[in-house]
Amino acid sequence: MFGLGGSTPQVSSQQKLQAAEAELDMVTGMFNQLVNQCHKKCINASYYESDITKQEALCLDRCVAKYFETNVQVGDNMQKLGQSGALMGRQ
Amino acid sequence: MDQLNVKEQQEFQQIVEQKQMKDFMNLYSNLVSRCFEDCVNDFTSANLSSKETTCIAKCSEKFLKHSERVGQRFQEQNALLMQNLQKR
Repeated sequence: MFGLGGSTPQVSSQQKLQAAEAELDMVTGMFNQLVNQCHKKCINASYYESDITKQEALCLDRCVAKYFETNVQVGDNMQKLGQSGALMGRQ
Repeated sequence: MDQLNVKEQQEFQQIVEQKQMKDFMNLYSNLVSRCFEDCVNDFTSANLSSKETTCIAKCSEKFLKHSERVGQRFQEQNALLMQNLQKR
């Protein structure tokens, strides 16, 4: 009757912290990759000046936007592939 | 994600601080590597030339400004993403 069956499982403190840490790692990892890749794609490595040019700034803004869109699309694609069984053996 | 209570938040804050320190160390060595790669190519001397020194200074400053801008855009895009995910 009361408290028997059907209730959501208790998530321990340890598990909550681990989940929070995993999420933080994921976001930090994504950010670091983003910094490196957009630098490669947008910043002139001749370093004529120490400021970001207007062109580079525009490129960076677009680079970040596209990276996020790519992230979403890859997520969707993986979901579809997972459903069709293409990811079997990887899960 | 489950919400953390006060005690858990404190514990998590410690974890965050440790990660921030590690992240800073990585940023530093990454930057050294990058500026060395891009700026230092003249090995006729064991001392950095003035050209190389200037390049390194610009490289460092530019990277930090770049990182700052990417950080701002990242926050904006992340906020948008959160909004869109809630709509789905």
